[in-house]
Amino acid sequence: MGFRFSSLRRRDWIRVALRIYLGAAVLYILAPLAIVMINSLNATAYSLFPPPSLTTRWYAHLFQLPEFGSAIRVSLEIAAATAALALLIGSPAAFVLTRRGLRWADGWRALLTAPIVIPQIVFGLAMFIFFLGLGLNGTVVSIVLTHLVVALPFVVIVTGAAFLDLDPSLEEAALDLGARVPQVVWHVVLPQIRLPVLAAGVFAFIISFDQLETTLFLVRPGVTTLPVQMFLYMETFQDPTMAALSTLLILGVGVGLLAFDVAVHRRSGPLLRRIGPRSS
Amino acid sequence: MPSVAVVAVLFVYPLLHFFRFSFDTLHEGRLIRGFSLDAYRAFAGDAYYWLNVWTTLKLAAVVTLVCMVVGYPLAYAIWSVRSPRARRWVSLAVMSPLVVSVVVRAYGWIVLLGRQGAVNYALQHAGLTHGPLPLINNFTGVAIATVHVLLPFMVFPLLGALDRVDPALKEAAADLGAPRWRIFQTVTWPLTAHGLAAGAQLVFPLALSAYVTPQLLGGGRVLVLSTLIYQTTIDVNWPIATVASIALLMLTTGAILILLQITRRSGRARGLQVQ
Repeated sequence: MGFRFSSLRRRDWIRVALRIYLGAAVLYILAPLAIVMINSLNATAYSLFPPPSLTTRWYAHLFQLPEFGSAIRVSLEIAAATAALALLIGSPAAFVLTRRGLRWADGWRALLTAPIVIPQIVFGLAMFIFFLGLGLNGTVVSIVLTHLVVALPFVVIVTGAAFLDLDPSLEEAALDLGARVPQVVWHVVLPQIRLPVLAAGVFAFIISFDQLETTLFLVRPGVTTLPVQMFLYMETFQDPTMAALSTLLILGVGVGLLAFDVAVHRRSGPLLRRIGPRSS
Repeated sequence: MPSVAVVAVLFVYPLLHFFRFSFDTLHEGRLIRGFSLDAYRAFAGDAYYWLNVWTTLKLAAVVTLVCMVVGYPLAYAIWSVRSPRARRWVSLAVMSPLVVSVVVRAYGWIVLLGRQGAVNYALQHAGLTHGPLPLINNFTGVAIATVHVLLPFMVFPLLGALDRVDPALKEAAADLGAPRWRIFQTVTWPLTAHGLAAGAQLVFPLALSAYVTPQLLGGGRVLVLSTLIYQTTIDVNWPIATVASIALLMLTTGAILILLQITRRSGRARGLQVQ
């Protein structure tokens, strides 16, 4: 009995140590987001900690800078267009790749997912020179097409994982019963993969909204995405106006993420686990 | 397939067209097209460019090692949380920085690590240091913030690996009287170490090509290939920018191939696709 008792205590000790480590790690992960929110109310422009007094003037200052409002609008438009195009082009490709009998399937897959491994700043520079030659640089179209290439591999991977779970005999049965291919896609395939396709679309949207290095060379005044606008602002100023904008973004993303997770969780288990490392 | 056309026209062609510029020369600020190896020679013969290459490799190596050392116990700690609800919240917290722009995170670290920031405040009030430590505009700050950006890419493959360990194996070992450390050593660790390789496969190439964090936290003093590419592009020195891009591309591709070889050799290549 004595042995049992001591091993139990040792187990508790390890458990406590793991919990403390977990707490420290979560603190490290959330600290930069938390300090941004605190600093958005800091009365000093040079980010003194702890803030000597609080103010809301950075928020007021933010709304006097029209370039950020325009950047948010441009970013949302580009992200929506990218997500729509990536789904339209990426999910049929994923479907074809998962069905047997395709020649060189591994080669096609490698080609479609290659944009993941290229350093983004290299790709951004290549696209800048490419669109410069076409006279399209500084246009929304050039940015959407660039983001499309970056988002496409993720759509192919996420929807591909979903297509792998499908039972091909259902499609065959529908075809045998005389359904035409578009009918099969609409009535048999799509209802089964609605959720992963939605997830892939959200993924593509977020990826586009977050692009910086690929877009850095493609913007011009008036057609600038939000991350690039923030980056350019931060290279010159480091006052808490950035903190005010970041706080609004963090809150917006947090609310959106929670709402999405809750909505998906209610339907079929947490999304984060469905598209996490396990199901790939 | 239209997707193949998209990738060919918008990915393969622009890159090939871009690489062509590495054979051009810059003469008195004007680009002269042709086939010369001047840009390659200039790059290889200049210690400044080699410093960029060296710092790039050092940053990626340090960041990957720290992510492994910090990430494994972190993944283990998350995995050992029993309540599914608590676990979901912790996973969400670890994942949450991924959806916040790197610019926001870089700003957060600049505020935290600055001379008058919270970290220096805490260190001095705890009596650990007497003056503010220089934590930004140097390699340390860039490394701290880059680890923060890339840690989730290490933790999630590790969580996947831990999840696949059959609990029956641990129970069997415990029933046979193995102490906890021994169970970890002989069951859990051998079955999950390949997760570290999978994580490194994601983290190392991403650290090699990181741009925003070295640029904003390095304050112009941490010179890596990505910052060099940006600077030479702004200076309209396209031949050197192209050669630097090719160098960076070779480093990332080489790293991916080597790490792929390591994970293959460890015989556990399952579940290692890029997320």
